[in-house]
Amino acid sequence: MSMRSQVYEWSNLQASSNQLRRTSTDQPVALTANREYDLFTGGVGNNITKPAETTATQFIVIEDIAASPVIGSAVQIRINTTDYFQNPDVTDMVGIPGLASPYPRGAPSTIDTTVVDSTSAGSENILKSFDLYPDVYVLPGQTFQILYTSRDGTTATTTQVVSCFLKYTLYDGPDALIANKLLELGVTINPNNVDWYKRSLIEQQQRSRVAGGQA
Amino acid sequence: MSMRSQVYEWDASRGTALTVATNLGKRTSIFVGGFGNNITKPAETTATEFVVIEDIAVTPSLGVHSAVAAGTEIRGLTTFTGSTGVAGVAGPRAYVQVRINTTDYFLDPDNIPNDGIPGSGSPYPRSINFQPSFNLYPDVYVLPGQVWDALVTYYNQGAFTNTTGNAVADELQCFVKYTLYDGPDALIANKLLEMGISINPGNVDWYKRSLLQAQA
Repeated sequence: MSMRSQVYEWSNLQASSNQLRRTSTDQPVALTANREYDLFTGGVGNNITKPAETTATQFIVIEDIAASPVIGSAVQIRINTTDYFQNPDVTDMVGIPGLASPYPRGAPSTIDTTVVDSTSAGSENILKSFDLYPDVYVLPGQTFQILYTSRDGTTATTTQVVSCFLKYTLYDGPDALIANKLLELGVTINPNNVDWYKRSLIEQQQRSRVAGGQA
Repeated sequence: MSMRSQVYEWDASRGTALTVATNLGKRTSIFVGGFGNNITKPAETTATEFVVIEDIAVTPSLGVHSAVAAGTEIRGLTTFTGSTGVAGVAGPRAYVQVRINTTDYFLDPDNIPNDGIPGSGSPYPRSINFQPSFNLYPDVYVLPGQVWDALVTYYNQGAFTNTTGNAVADELQCFVKYTLYDGPDALIANKLLEMGISINPGNVDWYKRSLLQAQA
């Protein structure tokens, strides 16, 4: 299992701050407008034990990021200290809007906080306008963060539950070496191309064996 | 029929219905967990079988406004109904993990096993309201002689009609799609694995054709 499809889902639900696992007693927490929340170690919602990083024998390809299409949600990728999405004037931005890359796909984009029935959620179905292509590479030894920002924020008493979603492929061991090789060759890193590289190595070996036998 | 497309659908309400409160936050095997429709023994491959899991999905959930009244149905999913539950979430907040022998497939970025694929990322059933964000690619291989399982975890007790009793139909479901390679095709699947080639019916057929061409 040296190439594995992985996902990470974050929500502003927690029973206590700096919580690692989801629990059945989680409740929504308020989000401050225009504040960046690190999905992995931000202290809000479900978190992991340490910042996300690749070891010397790992290679990560981020293939999709998405956020709830409400309260002005946006999601940014940070590799080491560099933000991936920038404004045309090369200034910082909040990242991909949830409206462009919604999670779940088909979710409503409007909420009415004045009603407490089924009409609170809008009736529209937001589909994705954005495809993360080319993918984002996290090279061996790099640290990465996924940062969620709500431009509208929520209040403690009437909180909207929002989620973020990350889909990536983890290449480990020999497959991470091949991923590095593909990067050097300028070939897109995906499972198909890693397999293609393996096949070409095998074919090369077979040819040299045949040539050796004929000599 | 040596390559066969197979599916397994689990519904928590079938067979011995799932006791909502008892199983909350716990991993439940969809094959032999004792709740919902089950099979007679753990899922495993024989020496002449090879399984490729191509898709898994579970009942979706939707984040909503926390003030939405208990018991409100939004897009077919129920919000917080009882004295316990997660406010602001419509649906069971369910996840599904794949386990091969004793190893969990889905990990957090810190390499610790997580709950698996969220239903909102890979919903079952799919609808206009809930479309997949996740595609299980590369596929998951179950090699000959291995035991495999799909484990469902849910956290929102309030999404169930009877929060302390049994689950009812369609409240919590899981779906697995896999291809079973048997006999000679399982041998070819092993060969493709050795060669580092993705195992799918197209590549198995390609290998057969290349053997026939080599003989001709």
